[in-house]
Amino acid sequence: MKATSEEVQTRVKKLFEDGSIAHFIGYETGSDSLRVTPCFLKSGQAASRLVWNPLCANNLSKYLLDFKNVEGKVGIMVKGCDSRSVVELLKENQIDRDKVFIVGVPCSGIADREKLLEVLGVSPGEVVAVEDDVDAFLVTLKEGKQRVDKEKVLRGECLVCKYPTPIVYDVLLGEAVSSLPWVGDDYSLIKEQEALSSEEKALYWNRELSQCIRCYACRNICPVCTCSECIFDKKAPRWITKANDVSENLVYHLVRAFHVAGKCIDCGECERACPMNIPLRSLNKKVEKDLLELFDYTAGIDVEQQPPLTTYKVGDLDEFL
Amino acid sequence: MEKPEMSENIYLPRMATIQSMRPETIDITTFRVTIDGSDGTGKFEYKSGQFAEVSVLGVGEAPIAITSSPTRPGTIEFSIRRVGELTNALHELQPMDEIGIRGPFGNFFPLEETEGQSLLIIGGGIGLAPLRSVILNVFDNRAKYGKIDIIYGARSPQDLVFTSEYEEWQAVDNTRLHLTVDRGDEEWKGNVGLVPTFLKEIHPSPENTTSITCGPPIMIKFVIEALHELGFSGEHIITTLERRMKCGVGKCGRCNIGNKYVCLDGPVFTLKQLKEMPSD
Amino acid sequence: MVSQTKSRIIEKNRLTELLDKLAHDYHLIAPVRDNNVSFRHVESGSEVTLDYINTVLSPKNAFFPQTETLFRFSRDDSRGFGIEQDDEADREQVIFGIRPCDARSLRLMDMVFNGQYKDSYYLNRREKTTLIGLACFDPAETCFCPTFGIDPASGEDVDILFSDIGDRYLVEASTEKGAALLDRFAEFFAELRGDEEQLREARKAGLAGMKKLDVSNIADKMAPLYGGDYWESIGMKCLGCGICTYLCPTCHCFDIADVSLDEGGERFRCWDSCMFPEFTLMASGENPRPNRKTRVQQRFFHKLKYFHDRNGELACVGCGRCLKYCPVNIDITQIIEDVTSGKAGNE
Repeated sequence: MKATSEEVQTRVKKLFEDGSIAHFIGYETGSDSLRVTPCFLKSGQAASRLVWNPLCANNLSKYLLDFKNVEGKVGIMVKGCDSRSVVELLKENQIDRDKVFIVGVPCSGIADREKLLEVLGVSPGEVVAVEDDVDAFLVTLKEGKQRVDKEKVLRGECLVCKYPTPIVYDVLLGEAVSSLPWVGDDYSLIKEQEALSSEEKALYWNRELSQCIRCYACRNICPVCTCSECIFDKKAPRWITKANDVSENLVYHLVRAFHVAGKCIDCGECERACPMNIPLRSLNKKVEKDLLELFDYTAGIDVEQQPPLTTYKVGDLDEFL
Repeated sequence: MEKPEMSENIYLPRMATIQSMRPETIDITTFRVTIDGSDGTGKFEYKSGQFAEVSVLGVGEAPIAITSSPTRPGTIEFSIRRVGELTNALHELQPMDEIGIRGPFGNFFPLEETEGQSLLIIGGGIGLAPLRSVILNVFDNRAKYGKIDIIYGARSPQDLVFTSEYEEWQAVDNTRLHLTVDRGDEEWKGNVGLVPTFLKEIHPSPENTTSITCGPPIMIKFVIEALHELGFSGEHIITTLERRMKCGVGKCGRCNIGNKYVCLDGPVFTLKQLKEMPSD
Repeated sequence: MVSQTKSRIIEKNRLTELLDKLAHDYHLIAPVRDNNVSFRHVESGSEVTLDYINTVLSPKNAFFPQTETLFRFSRDDSRGFGIEQDDEADREQVIFGIRPCDARSLRLMDMVFNGQYKDSYYLNRREKTTLIGLACFDPAETCFCPTFGIDPASGEDVDILFSDIGDRYLVEASTEKGAALLDRFAEFFAELRGDEEQLREARKAGLAGMKKLDVSNIADKMAPLYGGDYWESIGMKCLGCGICTYLCPTCHCFDIADVSLDEGGERFRCWDSCMFPEFTLMASGENPRPNRKTRVQQRFFHKLKYFHDRNGELACVGCGRCLKYCPVNIDITQIIEDVTSGKAGNE
């Protein structure tokens, strides 16, 4: 069974009380019952604000970078995907393992707000709560309840998720989930795109990326984009300007996909954050597929396993330099 | 300041030609330019304290304080430190090269309101640049002002600017130039110490005196504290603020501090005004 | 009250044809659906969608483009430069489908681009554009324009207002520019039948539950909150991206930069955001807003106080885009409520 919000609240309160943590990063209800927002706690007093439900899409591990130099242990709530980006942060020594107390929550899928509203056919104001019900979501409305098939409304990254249970944690709340029943070939979309001709691919990406407004939300929300000074913010040399130009957009997105290669764990936050609905995940998913095929490498599952693009092994395909 | 007409393009620079470049220190050079005009000495009317947006076409634009005085028309001077992309490009230019100038922008030092008063001018490092406009302006109208004290300091003797003009300044009637450096060397015979400390030692009287300060933010902070201790009131402490600016005309939002725009409502502010502004 | 200036109706099945004609005679900008709904230049009426509440990007792009060439330059024979300006701003535009909130935002933008210095790029486009608004009867849960005295069914800030009253559109021109356009395309419009006002009132029933926050004296209520811990908790969540500022119809910050090509180049301006860390970074390395707390604070103080101090109006029109698209759900309506209730001062 998935942990309830109350179980999370109780546990976090205890963690503060016994001095295990001095800060906590979790979720709380946002603007309406279909939104959540990150919640930062400095004591157990306000722990009752915390929630854990199928709308908790945010990958909170990005915020761990803010606590690097803050005193005291920081507790954080992570789903399966989120824990994998924590693994990547640990690999890079971005955070110390003993600086974080990881509260793992096995997850059976997060609902996509827009898809859910479409299937329900109601306005957000009518929804009271969304709960996990194994292969469906149970939605409590102001008038009655509705049961919605998960596969119809899951977020894209949940449809291909292979790691629903956190890889690294100090405590696990809720029953571990070994696999999700709907997950098949997680590269089916990528294979379709690979089959396109060069011209078709160029047309597709030029069209999609011409909509990019360079808000940098994808970069800023990405937990493995960790550079303190991003290459695209540099003045000297100035790689791209702030002008909204398709060729600059392409440079930005393609270079970023390579910079996070081997670190991206497909949490899907980049695509969720994008206000222009650009299918960003497929760029990173393609790189992920290539790394698997070329180096037999999967990001975020083993702290000891170094990313292939930043390490050299004697048997590597290319020369080092 | 002239008000531009509707058809005038506020983003279009006028071209100016560099007449001479005088190195002041290892990284500061004073550029003397003339605005290109059909008569060769294009009109550019400004007041002491204003700045211009100076550009090298193809590299960029930056706000630079005007260091010359409007009492000496014909050429305009900028003292520019080599610190970023644009200023580096400026330093690579040579006399007869063209640069772009937009402006003048900003408000100005209240030289009319302070007529009849004594002036205490306190500068640090490159901060002396906008103050020099005031100094030369006041020298050219000497009879209108009382005592003039100039306190100026830099990190070391090699960082002092306008050294070639000090003799001329010291020769002006009822004017004293007090120099100091943070760190001296074997040849330095003058005072050694930070500007705010030096200021307190000189102990100028606030009576019928207005003080004008410009320099690194930390120096301004301590100078203002010292001026307070010496009895200067908020309206008689004037400074010029530095902020990252782009358009110079109050539209791009960059120099916004509270409900003020440094490029429109400043860069010259009295302490009284500064106290009403938020700290960011 | 049906406007006195000039009122007509247009049958729904004639709208596409009208848009075709507008697209032919003018540079027509209208809502288009692809990945989402955005204002785009259209060449025929069939590209236009009317099935939307509001677009992702506000129509400010039509007056203040995200990227705009200010001028081009080329090296001449001496060591100097020749400068030439763009003429793109000289075309006649029509924006169809602008919502009352966005129309109001243009009045607020006018205050920025006018004033002591006149921004000819923005003002030219503004003058050469006819605004055709679309009344809102089915607002989103994120909309809160009545907070700022905006009537979602009124054409106060547009030249012509189209209102979908069921089987036809009520068309009301409230300016000379609007009336002239109605005359020009008179063949599409018909006389009122008499029941238009009734039908409109019935449609307005959907607006009854709209969020209307109390913003009385909010600029004064903001003042003591400067530097407070409240902004710390919001700053912690904030990603520092540019979504809120780029989508906001009243945000106007921009950068100016040069691009150098072989024998010349151009100077352009492009949108910038006070949420980006290097926005106030000076060449000396000093940054007056060095963290997300100060930058988030700046954003809300600017919208709810500083702009009001300078111009007498709050710089928000309640379009709800920022709170809808913020990936971490920072909600300006929540902030307004916290400020008004005093909760923001107690954190």
